[in-house]
Amino acid sequence: MFSPRPMKHVMLQVLTEDLPQVALILAELELFSPDHRPLYEAHFPLVPGERFRELYTQASSRLHKISRHIPLAPLAHLGGLHVISERELEETNRWLGEIWERCSAYEESLRRLGDERQMIAQLEQALQNFGELNIDLGLLQGERLFLDIHVGMVPRANVTQLKEAVTLANYLLFDYMEHEENVHVIVVGPKGEREKELRSVLDTAGFRALPIPPELQHEPERVRTELERRKLEVERQLQHENADIHACADRFRERLEQSRNTLIMAEPFVRIDTAARSAGHLSIISGWIPARDIPRIRQALETSLTHPFRLDARSPSAEERPLVPSYMPDNRLMTPFATLVKQYGIPRYGEVDPTAIFAVTFILMFGMMFGDVGHGVTIALVAWLARSRLKSFTLFTLSIGISAALFGLLYGSVFGYENLIDAAWIAPLSDPIYMLMVALKWGIAFLVLISFISIYNRIVQGDLTRALFDSNGVISTLLYLSLLYVLYHYFTNGKFDVAAAGIGLLSLLTLLGYKAMTSRASPGERMLVAFIETFETLTGYISNTLSFLRVAAFSLNHVALAIAVFALADMMESVQAHILMVVCGNLFILVLEGAIVTIQALRLEYYEGFSRFYSGDGLEFRPLRLNSGGKGKA
Amino acid sequence: MIAQTPHTYLKTRATVMSKRLFSAARLEQMLQSSLESLGSEFELQAIIEHSVSPAALNRAAERELIHTLMMELEVLLRPLEGNTRSILIHWTRKFELYNLKALIRGKLQKLPFEQIKPYLYDLPPLISLPHDRLLRTESILELLRSLEQGPFADIALQARRVYEEKNEPFSLDAAIDRSYYIGMLRRIRRLESSDHAPLQRLVATLIDQQNLIWLLRYRFSYLLSPTETYYLLIPFGRRLHRERLMKLVNLDRFEQVIEALPKGLSELMEGVQDLLGAERQLEAETAAEARNCLRFSQSAVTRSLAYLVLREMDLKKLYALVQGKVLNLSEPLIRTAAGIERFDRDQTQDARGEYV
Repeated sequence: MFSPRPMKHVMLQVLTEDLPQVALILAELELFSPDHRPLYEAHFPLVPGERFRELYTQASSRLHKISRHIPLAPLAHLGGLHVISERELEETNRWLGEIWERCSAYEESLRRLGDERQMIAQLEQALQNFGELNIDLGLLQGERLFLDIHVGMVPRANVTQLKEAVTLANYLLFDYMEHEENVHVIVVGPKGEREKELRSVLDTAGFRALPIPPELQHEPERVRTELERRKLEVERQLQHENADIHACADRFRERLEQSRNTLIMAEPFVRIDTAARSAGHLSIISGWIPARDIPRIRQALETSLTHPFRLDARSPSAEERPLVPSYMPDNRLMTPFATLVKQYGIPRYGEVDPTAIFAVTFILMFGMMFGDVGHGVTIALVAWLARSRLKSFTLFTLSIGISAALFGLLYGSVFGYENLIDAAWIAPLSDPIYMLMVALKWGIAFLVLISFISIYNRIVQGDLTRALFDSNGVISTLLYLSLLYVLYHYFTNGKFDVAAAGIGLLSLLTLLGYKAMTSRASPGERMLVAFIETFETLTGYISNTLSFLRVAAFSLNHVALAIAVFALADMMESVQAHILMVVCGNLFILVLEGAIVTIQALRLEYYEGFSRFYSGDGLEFRPLRLNSGGKGKA
Repeated sequence: MIAQTPHTYLKTRATVMSKRLFSAARLEQMLQSSLESLGSEFELQAIIEHSVSPAALNRAAERELIHTLMMELEVLLRPLEGNTRSILIHWTRKFELYNLKALIRGKLQKLPFEQIKPYLYDLPPLISLPHDRLLRTESILELLRSLEQGPFADIALQARRVYEEKNEPFSLDAAIDRSYYIGMLRRIRRLESSDHAPLQRLVATLIDQQNLIWLLRYRFSYLLSPTETYYLLIPFGRRLHRERLMKLVNLDRFEQVIEALPKGLSELMEGVQDLLGAERQLEAETAAEARNCLRFSQSAVTRSLAYLVLREMDLKKLYALVQGKVLNLSEPLIRTAAGIERFDRDQTQDARGEYV
């Protein structure tokens, strides 16, 4: 519960032909995280399944692209679990290739029809423009004896350059209209040798000819009807294409879903990748397995494999520890807290998993800062009513609501009213100094606990020196505690405790010596760095302790805000307005102060707590699993 | 305009980084070094590990050198924001365009995924195309449709037209390059005046170099018409402006073009008889202008761009050296390929023989 589960490094020796089946078994159990290091490269030089991986990647890519046009039903159940052979995968990939070819042709048709639709719109604009001109359009049409005329459009960005370029072939370019990203142009020049040269440059510049119907001048209505007909034809073709793809979808959806299942079953072998190596008929797979689950895996392999296998497990070496994934099994109660902890990072293997500590201390601090029976019950009620939306965070919200309600009982506060029930402990505003002292003691206890965890983590990592001498180590904790004792003794008895002061001074000098020894710089700079770092450690403890005063400050703030709401409500002349003000004020406190208190509690956890002992740079245990959505590779 | 502090910082950064540029003496020393020592000095893992074929080794070395340039770009980008930042990012898009060209060419030739992939550079995410997705496209049209959905939509549209109407890869390349330089100029126009003029001058020099090479190649290697050649050029050069280009494309012989170049350029190109020679001379001219910008420009972003231009030239030389040594070419041949002789003659050096 308090640290990731012990892990073992395993080397599984199997026959090469059994590899896909082993991958499938391991994925089904979801207890194996592949180790991709080339540990056994010398004896097992080959990485098997290269062709299999290539086929899988192509097939997955094809299926993904196809599903943009043929949506598949969400995966409900993966039935008929079996090993996918290379041949079956090849066949699936080939078939998906055929379907993708259809979809690709459909995409291209849509694009072509989109272009056609745009072209008709451009033509309509051009014809409207010509219709308003009093010129004989016959001049622009057909073959001329001496003139080479081109009417069309060019992308706006190319016009200037094209205008200059055509002059080199003795042509002139006139632009007469702009529509969207195109400019409508007429290019005129003498007929002759350079016609071909012109056509070539027009092509390169993206020139598209606009066919001017000869009837435009005398029968504009007929031209408009023709354009309308072409537009309808485009729409009809679009409908036809859509109907085609829908028919294709209806026909092939089932097989596509089967192909998806095939790919899901093929995926584990692909994700194992370089964690599997082979030499002839013998192969190995290396990775990490939770120690307690090894018998389960062994049994599953014994049941399923017909050929012999060998499973060797060993504990991770000291050098390997940073590479060991941290496995923290899902705990339904802890899920929302684990999510918040992961926002900070993943614990290293062996480090204390702060989720449980976080859950308890966060709930307590929230309750203490937001203690009110009415507000707490409201939060809990809202959490319960919105449980379908909050999902795993329902429990989190319920917990902080109940905590606030319980502290409300201790404070005797209901929706800000301090006189409805008697305080089981203390009304915060009745003795603010006492509240601040409680918060301070809470902070000291929290920091000492965190320092002990930090020391434990370093010992677990085999870093005894840092556990003893570094910040948040034994010596600095001793310094902190002795300093606290000296202050406490002075304020309670009026004199210094020499022994405690001596321990504190000795700790301070030890810390200074350690910092000076470990910093890499010239002697002068080294002393400066050591002095600053030691000073920082000391002030860090002091400021972090004082930070916890906010726990009391917010409990006082909560009451003060309620008083402000009641003061405003009392200023209202009618009873209805008074009630409205109390309700709105309480809502305001619930939403605004609730959010602030959550953030403050999180801040205390992350910055005063986690940053002291929790590196957060561990590797998450991502086991091989079916349908990982590409997340299987560590 | 960028704030004064980052401006000063960037100038200092560019000046400090300019010490990494190769002097003539340094190049000469590199020429004499073994492949292994070059590999370990420039951390070219592929060479150090000796694990690949010469062709793969060349590609790996090239990718690692580009990676070096990208790392340096990231350092220069840190203090920049807004338009100035976008200028440097756009300059590096040329590598992304190399990738784009490789992708399109590969797809045109119906090459499989594995054969195209080694030719693509690893680039920082801010300028990188979604390679894997594009490589997985199964035809040129599918590739173009994918590109039309992203920041290369205009290039994709142009490429589609060129592909559908002519299907000639070189004109497709030209369309892509043209679009790149016009994008660069568009970004420069958005800059404040203090950066605008010096940057415009530097980029116009780059365009001059590019224009003249393209002009000679299109007219005399690909035998394109004057009209089409002119259309594929960028009429915003420093010395080869609109009217001059129109005049040059109409000339029918290589020598005539060289003679008709503006003063300064014609002297530089005197005696040049082929495209390779022209490229060498123009590169030297561009390098001189970039060095000038790096030393004297008041604009920090111009200095940074000048550094990147020079550094790219240096890394190309280094690549030529590595390639020559991998292929066991003779020293004179490597010297010619890397342009070391000419570099030796033209390089401005201080007393220690270092580049300044």
